[in-house]
Amino acid sequence: MTMLKTMVIEPVRAFNGMDVLVARDEGLFEAEGLDVQFAKREPGDIRSTAEGTLTHPVSSQGRLQERGVARMYQA
Amino acid sequence: MVVCGALVVAPFSPVYTPQELAHRVVALDYGNGTAYAGLQMLESAMPREAVTTRSFDANPSKRYAALMAGEFDATVLQEPWITVAEKAGCRLVSTTFFYGTWVADDTVDAEAYAAFVRATTEAARRINADKRAYARYYKTDDFEVTPDVQALSLDDFNLSRIQVKAPEPIPEADARWDWDWMSSWGLLNGTFDIESQINTAVQQAAHAGR
Repeated sequence: MTMLKTMVIEPVRAFNGMDVLVARDEGLFEAEGLDVQFAKREPGDIRSTAEGTLTHPVSSQGRLQERGVARMYQA
Repeated sequence: MVVCGALVVAPFSPVYTPQELAHRVVALDYGNGTAYAGLQMLESAMPREAVTTRSFDANPSKRYAALMAGEFDATVLQEPWITVAEKAGCRLVSTTFFYGTWVADDTVDAEAYAAFVRATTEAARRINADKRAYARYYKTDDFEVTPDVQALSLDDFNLSRIQVKAPEPIPEADARWDWDWMSSWGLLNGTFDIESQINTAVQQAAHAGR
């Protein structure tokens, strides 16, 4: 039995990550030897973009990677 | 993944074209790709000084609700909220497409990323073979479960707004253009340096076997 390599990424949604969701649900990552997991957000990870400005945006994107609990995120 | 973004106005809006959004308030989720897509649609239709935006939540259901409540003149939406808005009589005054780009830290090696690319490439092939069926993901994997989205049927979705393709390396010219465009809006400082932005060795190795 082949050992799967774990890859933790930031969660995606259908509008920007339908391919990832399908790959997860249909065993395509597993077939490639990957165990892709979605990192879990904590309350402090969720920041409303309403609080930012155009030149100083506030976004949750990349927050889990900053915290070291996800290795990839989609920008 | 290619994301569709649309500039949307409420059914009661006097606006029918993107040019008519000059000096009108457009709500954007600053910091996200949809916001930058919105800016690009606006600047293609008017001088920059006429582009008037405000920050709003990244959750499109909140932007949609505020649009319908008349809190601003327009907003940018993505699926499934473009479809929700159209069903409610809203008008799309401009639509565009943009790439979502994966950002990886330096623990992701070429072998792992290549496996990720192969898996999502096969997923893209399957989605393109039956977009109508895979549109179900809009109902299960959105920001939250909402009655507006649950009320949609799979036949409601415009399949031309679902665009999926195999991941490819980022062309340097495209990355440079993006950097320069963002700099022109004051979003980035300094000059573009490909070596600091893209690990080309990992990128090339990951895509070599496609």
